[in-house]
Amino acid sequence: MIELQGLTKTYAGKNVVEDVSMTLETGEFGVLIGPSGCGKSTTLKMINRLVPLSGGRIILNGDDVTELPAEQLRRRIGYAIQSTGLFPHWSVARNIATVPQLLKWPKSRIDDRVDELMAMFHLDPAEFRHKYPHQLSGGQAQRVGVARALAADPEVLLMDEPFGAVDPITREALQAEMRRVHRQTGKTIVFVTHDMDEALQLATRIALLNGGRLVQYDRPIEMMVKPADDFVREFFGQADLGLKLLSRRWVHQYQRPPSLAHHATLPGLDHCWRLDDAGRPIVLEGARLDDQHRHTDVRAEWIATPEMSMKEALSRMVWYRVMVLPVVDGTGKLIGEVGMQGIMGIESDGGLHAGEPAS
Amino acid sequence: MTPPEGRRLVGNRVLTTLLVAAVASVALLPFASLSPNRLVSGQPVMLWQALAGWQFATLALIGILLLVAALAGPLPRRIALWLSLGATLPLLALDLQALGAYAHRALAEASPAARVSQGATFWILLFVSALIAIDALQRLRLGPSGRALYGVAALAVIGVCFSGELLSPLSIMREFANQRDNFIDQLVRHLLLVAGALLPALLIGLPLGLLANRRARLRNGLFSVLNVFQTLPSIAVFGLLIAPLSALGRAVPWLGELGVSGIGVAPAIIALVLYSLLPIVRNTYSGLAGVSTGALEAARGMGMTPRQILWRVEIPLALPVILSGLRIVTVQAIGLVVVAALIGAGGFGAFIFQGLGQYAIDLVLLGAIPTIVLAVIADFALQILVSLSRPSGTR
Repeated sequence: MIELQGLTKTYAGKNVVEDVSMTLETGEFGVLIGPSGCGKSTTLKMINRLVPLSGGRIILNGDDVTELPAEQLRRRIGYAIQSTGLFPHWSVARNIATVPQLLKWPKSRIDDRVDELMAMFHLDPAEFRHKYPHQLSGGQAQRVGVARALAADPEVLLMDEPFGAVDPITREALQAEMRRVHRQTGKTIVFVTHDMDEALQLATRIALLNGGRLVQYDRPIEMMVKPADDFVREFFGQADLGLKLLSRRWVHQYQRPPSLAHHATLPGLDHCWRLDDAGRPIVLEGARLDDQHRHTDVRAEWIATPEMSMKEALSRMVWYRVMVLPVVDGTGKLIGEVGMQGIMGIESDGGLHAGEPAS
Repeated sequence: MTPPEGRRLVGNRVLTTLLVAAVASVALLPFASLSPNRLVSGQPVMLWQALAGWQFATLALIGILLLVAALAGPLPRRIALWLSLGATLPLLALDLQALGAYAHRALAEASPAARVSQGATFWILLFVSALIAIDALQRLRLGPSGRALYGVAALAVIGVCFSGELLSPLSIMREFANQRDNFIDQLVRHLLLVAGALLPALLIGLPLGLLANRRARLRNGLFSVLNVFQTLPSIAVFGLLIAPLSALGRAVPWLGELGVSGIGVAPAIIALVLYSLLPIVRNTYSGLAGVSTGALEAARGMGMTPRQILWRVEIPLALPVILSGLRIVTVQAIGLVVVAALIGAGGFGAFIFQGLGQYAIDLVLLGAIPTIVLAVIADFALQILVSLSRPSGTR
């Protein structure tokens, strides 16, 4: 667990970081994000005191480490950066072993740890141990950089835009790898990025900074659903964020009881499902985009399950031109439905609106 | 860079040019000269007059091999380069051997005062073989060990030629025989002067380079001061130092006893140190400045102390550039020590100025050639050191 209390950085009389306080529980993946010059990188570097604090305290697993000699603090905190910072005159293995060597681990323990980390990052030790950084691809070098940061099993891992300089395909692979490593190691991670996609992919907590101040610190979904102010709303409202939000929401959150009779007076519910003897949906009457009253045979391609993401459900509605999908359980029995109008209603409070007509 | 494939006749233009130069000098310039005594200028002797039949045939064979290596057609590129590199050693040996053998023959039937000296063609063949070797070594991209091996082989050839009586009848070698003890003294003195200048220059220059890297504000002032030293002519510096140093030597007796005076070793070393500072400081600074900021940030971020960063990251990465500076300074100092002979510091310069005074060209060469050889050996050795110091990751 890491607590930042009132971190402040003053350059030439101006506060570039002002009173940033946040707590990251053990195992959380915290992402610092914000427009350029917002102080996110400075905040990160204040955690390992590469940037000296002008004010505030850092508490690491209950210890106040603000006054600890910076070198000792840094050996307890992993650090990975965009340029990888690999030492060009050292082999991959020696690079990874940097901090264990500083901590004077016995050689056999270092060797085991290096092998373990290379395996974790899918770098074959036989092939890569003795390579030099200039012989690695960008993605491989970045993996070695992260492995090096994790070498001494640090209490917290800091990552400063680590994937900012690699191509998009490699970046996606590295992000997936980072998610897996985070799951495997349960490390507390603080990650700086300016890429909203990356933040949503990785974060369990997002801290949005602007002008050196922490604007909002919350779970990703809460940031999207309950933005603290217009700045947050605008920052998250870029591009296809609505769809991204739906990719983190699930059909069971939007599901309502199926309409088994026509309710012509209730908008969105003037349709009805016909079931077979086993309770499986076979025909949808109405709720077509093209023809309100047409009967449509239910097809496996547009049936939803409770675990399906709402993004996928929406995609099926659009593609098969139906306003509503049947939600079935494992046996194929109709247990609910999810509709086009329903997607909108739930957003404002994140609660479940099952059974209510869409507003 | 690569010329278009096709019907090119010439594969290696450098080698071809050198061959043309060698053939022209064989045809036009004397290989040796024969004079009745030490002070009279000699009669030119052309190569074909000086060489025995088998020597000429061997030279022609070497020439043909080099020509084949220079052409595009007959041989694969690497084999041609190896061939030209290999041919330089017999060429070197033949050049020296032919001169010695000619001197023996010519002097057998002449008066004891007669002298044989080497001529322009002798030198040109020597330089041509050196340039062919340098070109081939570069194109073959041989590592430090390969280059060192070739250097040792060339030195061995030269050593064998000088070891026996082969070259002793040459005028310059007679001069050497007259001066043998003195020669060793001056060699030691020359080397001590170089070492005596480099050691303080390194002790002062390396910390100054580090300082220039750490303190941006000091940098400009420091470099302009060092630049001024570099632009002063060496003789002027020696002259300028005479007055203050002799005053100092008189004023502080124990310094005077240590040998501090207006002329001699003290001003020579002071001037050499001043000249050596700029390259050392500049290369130390730029070597350190060339270390990637990412590596430095990572080193700090992982908890290395400033001292650990300096010794484990900065110095290993800057070392090739620092050693390149040392290489420049060493070669420069070996040359400048010659001038220091003017103020009585000794070294090979003493022969040169003595020879100039007596118009004894062989005495001049006795000072000049060893100086050149020293400079070449130092350059070669430090070049190998530079490539060895390159981190294996980037070599």
